[in-house]
Amino acid sequence: MFYKELFTHKSGGNLPQLVSAENENLQSRFVVQKILELREQGIPLEEMAVLFRSSFLSFDLEIELTKANIPFRKFGGFKFVETAHVKDMIAYLRVLENPRDVVSWNRILMLLDGVGPRTAEKVVDDILKRKITEPGSGGESLPSTKFWMQFNDYSDNIQKLFGTLKDVSSPNVTPGEKTYHILQYYEPILRARYDDHTKRKKDLDMFQNITERYKDIGSLLSDLALQPPNESIVDVESPGPEEEFLTLSTIHSAKGLEWNSVFIIYALEGRFPTMRSVASDEEIEEERRLMYVACTRAKENLMITYPMNIYDRESGMILTKPSRFIQGIGEKLLEPWVVE
Amino acid sequence: MKKFTLKPSANDTLQLVHPRTLTINYKQELNEAQYEAVTSVDGPHLVIAGAGTGKTRTIVYRVAYLVELGVKPDHILLLTFTRKAAQEMLRKAAILLDSRCENVSGGTFHSFANKVLRKYASLIGYEANFTILDQSDAEDVLSLIRARLKYDTKEKRFPRKEALYDLYSRSLNTLTPMKEILAVDYPQYLELESDIQTLHKAYEQYKKQHNLMDYDDLLVNLARLISQNEVVRGTLSDRYKYIMVDEYQDTNKVQAEIIALLAFKHRNVMVVGDDAQSIYAFRGSTIKNILSFPEEFADCKVIKLEENYRSTQPILNLANEILKRGSIHRK
Repeated sequence: MFYKELFTHKSGGNLPQLVSAENENLQSRFVVQKILELREQGIPLEEMAVLFRSSFLSFDLEIELTKANIPFRKFGGFKFVETAHVKDMIAYLRVLENPRDVVSWNRILMLLDGVGPRTAEKVVDDILKRKITEPGSGGESLPSTKFWMQFNDYSDNIQKLFGTLKDVSSPNVTPGEKTYHILQYYEPILRARYDDHTKRKKDLDMFQNITERYKDIGSLLSDLALQPPNESIVDVESPGPEEEFLTLSTIHSAKGLEWNSVFIIYALEGRFPTMRSVASDEEIEEERRLMYVACTRAKENLMITYPMNIYDRESGMILTKPSRFIQGIGEKLLEPWVVE
Repeated sequence: MKKFTLKPSANDTLQLVHPRTLTINYKQELNEAQYEAVTSVDGPHLVIAGAGTGKTRTIVYRVAYLVELGVKPDHILLLTFTRKAAQEMLRKAAILLDSRCENVSGGTFHSFANKVLRKYASLIGYEANFTILDQSDAEDVLSLIRARLKYDTKEKRFPRKEALYDLYSRSLNTLTPMKEILAVDYPQYLELESDIQTLHKAYEQYKKQHNLMDYDDLLVNLARLISQNEVVRGTLSDRYKYIMVDEYQDTNKVQAEIIALLAFKHRNVMVVGDDAQSIYAFRGSTIKNILSFPEEFADCKVIKLEENYRSTQPILNLANEILKRGSIHRK
C-alpha cells in the first residue's frame, strides 16, 4: 500500500461513535431515533445515509423506517435494465437492429402463449435460414422490409409479432416511435404476465422517455447495454422527486458519495468482515478497505453500530463481537455507546 | 529556465503556450499536490488520491490545463468508472475553461472499447452492428449450449449457467487459467474441466457466429485487436496522445494491458486512484495494477493527495487508524 495520512485544515468535530445494541431490532430503533434527532437539528434526510456490507442487512431497519414514516431509497439492489419487463422491450429493439440475435428472439417468442422452447427454436432456425439483409452502404447488414414478411405460415400471434416489427423496422421510424408502437403491442403481454403490471408500467414509461432522446437504435442499445440509466421503480420504491429521502446503500454502491451523517450498521464480526472472507488475508484486507470507504463518506457525524446477539444459521454460531476493524480502537478515536 | 521537450509525432505537434498566457490561475486554485498533478504533462504519472482530497477537481483542472497548453481535445482520452463521471468532469472542465473541453474523448473502458470495435469490427471477424449481451443474456446463451451439448442430462452434476459465466468471466478478467479457478472455487467440477473447456469454445463460436459480444468480449477483443494489429495500435496511440484513467485501483488486468498498449508510442499516462479504496476484487479488479504501476512504468512520478476537504479531523483519524492496522506493507 502507498502510505498516506489524510488531514484537514478544518477544526473541531465530534468523535465518531461505536454503538452496541443488544439485538438487531434495538440497532434499528437506535438508527431511526438518531435520524429523527439529527433531522430536528436541521440536517435534512438527503444528508444522511445508512451503509451496510451486504444488501440483506438492512431489512429490519427498512421495516422500522417504514413504521416511523421515514422515506428512504435503497441502492445496491436490482438495476433498471435487469428487470424482466425492461429486458423484454430491449429484446424487441435488438432484433430490429440485429436479426441474428438469437438470444433476444428466444426471449420475445417465449412471451407468446403456446410458444415454448421447442417452437421458439424452430422459428429461430427458420429466421436464420432466411435472407435477412440487403447490401447496405456501410458494410452493415440491416434487415430489409421483405425479411419481416416471410413468416406467414405461423400461428396468429407469431405473425402479429412479425407484423409489429415490420411496421417499425424502417430506419426512418425514430427509436421513440418504435418503442411507442412496440409498447402498444406489448401491453397485453405485460398485463397477462405480471401481477404488479401497474408498477412495471412506470418503468416502461421511463424507458419510453429515454428512447425519445435517441436518433438511432444502435446507440440507444449500446448505451443501455453499457450503463443502466436509473434504478427501477419496481425494485426501488422511491418517493416523488421533491420529497426528501434517506439513503440506504451497500458500501459498494456508496463509492464516491458523501453525506453529513453516516451510519454503518452491522459492524459485526461475521457480517463485516463476512464469515467467508476471514480465511483469506487478501479478502480481509479488501473488507478493511470497505470499512475505510464507508467511514470516509461522512462529513461530520459517523456512527458505527452493531448488534451483540446474532445467530448465524450457516455456522450455527452466535455472533457477538464488533468488527475486527474497529475492535480495540481507543476511546480517544472512537467513543463507545450502548443502547438501552 | 525550464525546458519543454516536444515528442516527435506525426502531424500535430503541441503548440506551446506560455504559462503567463494561461487564463486559469492554477497555482491559486489548487493545493500544492493538486497543482503538481495538474501541471505534470509528459510521461507516466500515478496520482494517489485519498478519499475526499479533490480527485475530481484535479482531473477537471488537468483536462483544462492540457487543452490550454494546446493539446487537441480529441487527443485526450479520459477513462472513468461510470459514463456519468466522465460527462460530469468534461462538463466542469468546459465551464472552467471553454467548450473545447467537451470534445475530449471520455467514457468507460467498455464504452471506449465499444466505440473502437464498431469501427474495426471486420478486422476481428465481426460486423459493425454486433449486439452486446449483458450478464443474464450471456448466461442464457450458456444454458442453451449446455443443453445442446447434452451436458445437462449427464449423470454427474454439471455447473449451472451462473457458475459457468462466473468461471469464464473471471478467467478472462484476471487472466487466470480456468483450471486454477476451478481448483480454488469449484473443486467439485475439476474433473469436468475438459467438458467445461469444450462448452467454452462452443460459447465463443456461437457468439461470433451470431454477431454477439458479452461485456468481457468488449475488453478482450479490444486488447486482442490492438496487441495483434500494429496499424490499429499505432493509429490509436497517435490519436490518444494523453491518456488519463480514473479509479485505477478498480481496473482489471485486461484494462491495464489496454492502457499500456494505447500508450506505447508516447507513455503519456496519468492514472488516478486510491489503493485504500480498491473494493471490486470479486469482479476481477486487482489492487496490483495501482500498486505495481511504478514498476510497469519505471520512470513514473508518484504524487499523493492527502489534504481532505470532506470530513472533520476526528473522522479522518479513525479512518487513518483503520488502515494502519492493516497487514499489507507500505510504500
